[in-house]
Amino acid sequence: MNLLEIEYLKTYFFTEAGVVKAVDDVTLSVEKGSTVGLVGESGSGKSVTAQSVLRIVPRPGKIIGGKVLFNGEDLLLKKEEEMRKYRGKKISLIFQDPTSSLNPLFTIGSQLADIVIEHEKVKKDEAMERVVKALRIVKLPDPEHAIYQYPHQFSGGMKQRICIARALLLNPELLFADEPTTNLDVTIQAQIIALLKDLQKELGMTLVMITHDMGIVAEMCKNVVVLYAGNVMESGSIEDIFERPHPYTEALLKAVPRLDETRKLISIPGNIPNLIDPPSGCRFHPRCQYAIDLCKERKPPLEEVGNSHFISCHRWRELQGGRS
Amino acid sequence: MGLAKYIIRRTIYMVPLIIGISLVSFLVMYAAGDPIQLATAGNPSITEAQRQFLREYYGLNDPIPIQYLRWLDHFIHGDFGKSLYGGRPVNEIISSLIWETAKLQIISILLAFFISIPAGVYSAVKQRSAADYTVSSIAIFGISVPVFWFGIVLILIFSYHLGWLPSAGAHGAPYLWPVFGIKNEFLDELAHLVLPVTVLTFANLAYNVRLLRAGMLEVLRQDYIMAARASGIPERKVLYKYALKNAITPLLTLLGLSIGGMLAGAPVTETVFSWPGLGRAYVTASLRLDFPLIMGITMIITIMILIANLITDLVYAWVDPRVTID
Amino acid sequence: MNLRRRSDKEIKERGASQWAVAWRRFKKHRSGLVGLGMIIVLLTIAAFHNVIAPYPARPHPDAFKPLYEGESAQPPSWKHPFGTTVMGTDVFSEVIHGSIYTIYVAVAVTIISMALSVGVGIVSGYFGRLVDDVLMRITEVFLVFPSLLFILLFSRIYQLGVAEPFWNVFGIKIPVGLTIVVVIVSIFGWASYARVIRGEVLRMKECEFIQAAKSLGASSRWIMLRHIFPNILPQVIVLATLTMASAVLVEAAVSFLGFGDPNTITWGRLMEESLQDLSTVWWAEVFPGLAVFLTVLAFNLVGDGLSDALNPRLRE
Repeated sequence: MNLLEIEYLKTYFFTEAGVVKAVDDVTLSVEKGSTVGLVGESGSGKSVTAQSVLRIVPRPGKIIGGKVLFNGEDLLLKKEEEMRKYRGKKISLIFQDPTSSLNPLFTIGSQLADIVIEHEKVKKDEAMERVVKALRIVKLPDPEHAIYQYPHQFSGGMKQRICIARALLLNPELLFADEPTTNLDVTIQAQIIALLKDLQKELGMTLVMITHDMGIVAEMCKNVVVLYAGNVMESGSIEDIFERPHPYTEALLKAVPRLDETRKLISIPGNIPNLIDPPSGCRFHPRCQYAIDLCKERKPPLEEVGNSHFISCHRWRELQGGRS
Repeated sequence: MGLAKYIIRRTIYMVPLIIGISLVSFLVMYAAGDPIQLATAGNPSITEAQRQFLREYYGLNDPIPIQYLRWLDHFIHGDFGKSLYGGRPVNEIISSLIWETAKLQIISILLAFFISIPAGVYSAVKQRSAADYTVSSIAIFGISVPVFWFGIVLILIFSYHLGWLPSAGAHGAPYLWPVFGIKNEFLDELAHLVLPVTVLTFANLAYNVRLLRAGMLEVLRQDYIMAARASGIPERKVLYKYALKNAITPLLTLLGLSIGGMLAGAPVTETVFSWPGLGRAYVTASLRLDFPLIMGITMIITIMILIANLITDLVYAWVDPRVTID
Repeated sequence: MNLRRRSDKEIKERGASQWAVAWRRFKKHRSGLVGLGMIIVLLTIAAFHNVIAPYPARPHPDAFKPLYEGESAQPPSWKHPFGTTVMGTDVFSEVIHGSIYTIYVAVAVTIISMALSVGVGIVSGYFGRLVDDVLMRITEVFLVFPSLLFILLFSRIYQLGVAEPFWNVFGIKIPVGLTIVVVIVSIFGWASYARVIRGEVLRMKECEFIQAAKSLGASSRWIMLRHIFPNILPQVIVLATLTMASAVLVEAAVSFLGFGDPNTITWGRLMEESLQDLSTVWWAEVFPGLAVFLTVLAFNLVGDGLSDALNPRLRE
């Protein structure tokens, strides 16, 4: 049973320079209790997809089409007040930069307790107790004291623990973690990843890991969705994706540094395209080493090529044939 | 303990500033020439002997450093000397006027502050909407309109043309009350306040709204706002609790500065509305070169500005935990 | 040597395209363009003030022609679009002639106070430590000065010492009293801008290209002039526009209160002269004030447009 199903989601940003098609026909599903990796370079639409699910896309962004089915109900059809009850309670989001995602002018206790109060209508004392409990779960030292402190009094890693506690306060069914380790030191990164893994197992929640780091994906996820320039390039199990990848995924995988191999780290040539005027056909074709004229002319459909393995590529079958 | 220490330190810090400002004004004035000569230049009936007597009376025959030290000594003891015109003690003049100035300023600053909050927040939240354009246009008119001209236009319309409100002064004689349908002293005071308060509030409001709108636009882009929304905090609370507190800090600094600016700007408004306050007295004193009164008003206003700045810094530190007072 | 020349050329190219981008953005800013149009109109009026104004400026005796024709204190009409004053001058002509002083005040105050604030801001921000400490203490003193009070007092006192009403510089008559006001307004107005510029310099000092220039042994003066100044120029231009607006406003207030140059008929002075006749000759008060208002509005509109165009960070 799928907890989340996104169908043909379109989220555009109406800027002065033009319409940025940040998320364009994204389709994906997330199985209950699993960990899914949402992968792509920056600007591929990963974060906007998560924001669209929660319907908190910042201006001038707008969701203009598609469906977001959560437990079978379309979130895009909910009234704002109904939607609010999902945020933080059923679906949570952890941000990339813990420093900027905590309000600098409020104590940790007061900003976290407010969330409990808004959802559960409890007294402040009780809310504070819940906050302390959540802070203990994320292994923040001395949580009884921490609730009276301000964000600037904590280190980056501790702040990210606080942010994780905030996301877990109300035991959400679905947690988006938007590059939760990118802004942290390497040693702290490993700790946070370990913490998320443990928590996912202990609490049995569904986790969507948004990242550009294939290493993290390999370590944590069962399924992967690969986004490029607002389009889904590929989705499937981790085995499928590592063994029979889409040309873009292949390029991404080559960009992962590996200790056991001596080959050179390859970066993908070219830049992420301008989404106001995206490339015709397959959006990846200008940077794809296998691109042919067809790729420029027609957009490949997202087809199921194996058991729950979806690919959007004109040449994938042919290339697999050549390889095997 | 930190707070008391901080206030004491800041107060000590003010001393050289106050001495410096008083010294500068003193030297500039006395460099201009003999105040008695200047003050009586247009009066042919005053003899040289009388001038000499006046100089002696005001202690103007001593060397300038001695005069300054004497002034400073009196100032420390809370005495500003006597006006060159009529010989009334400056302290008495100031204490009779300060309340009128304070009344006008405090009402306008508070009104402007509280009106600017919903206007600035709404304008930023609905950026590029018709409401935002209206608010922003009014604000840019507000910062561009000369206060004295706006006051004059209001007087022309509401006093001369419509006859609704009095145009001058802070109080009207009881026999004038029926003209404006006023029944008691309180209403009379209120009627006199309407026009000057409108002008001052409008000018302040414009600055506040522009600053708050810009601050809100900046704050609304921050991750912690999106995080609050993502946690299911209702939008009203996101805006008026979490965003506003962050956007309002620059406004608080402005509040301190605007108290200073408005006190210094009081001469303009008070002249237009013939308001019996420190500003108008300053204009008259400067035109007549009534040096003791000029010094007195300058020092009182400087001290008020310094106190306003101190209070602003304290409030700032209270609002923003990242700012420490030391 | 070679390296230096190339980096210079690069700066210029990048600079040129940056200005082109800013201009393109500014052109889309409708209210900014309106402001610019108003300023162009003002400049045109000032340039041809003798042609446009039906009556000459005081002290020419013909300035009082309406009085001799029995047309003093007349309300606006086709002959006198802004009416006439009690003493029999044509308000329209006087406003037209006054425009030239307004431009003088705006430009002169801006040049002086920008020179002060940019100088202090760059030096303070660049050198830091003791230099910064001393300069910022001085700036703070200027910030707490009740500036308008001082401007009034200083101009009252210095006007006493004016012997010659005009300086003759290459055949251009420069009013001495007005220049005194200009200098005083500048001296009491630069401090807050110096703080803004210092902040910008501090931010930039950490940038790699400054660090690189330093490590290559560039002199402080070279770095300040060739690297820091061009990069804070957008900020300086915005501040300059805002200074023009406030200079016009402050000078008008000073003249309105009777502390201006007695030999120069500025817009504020026109208002001062007719204030006592407000209840009868309202037009002599309203039109000069309207001129001040529109001029200040124009500079503020351009300032807003420029700050939007030059700080793309603040746009969506």
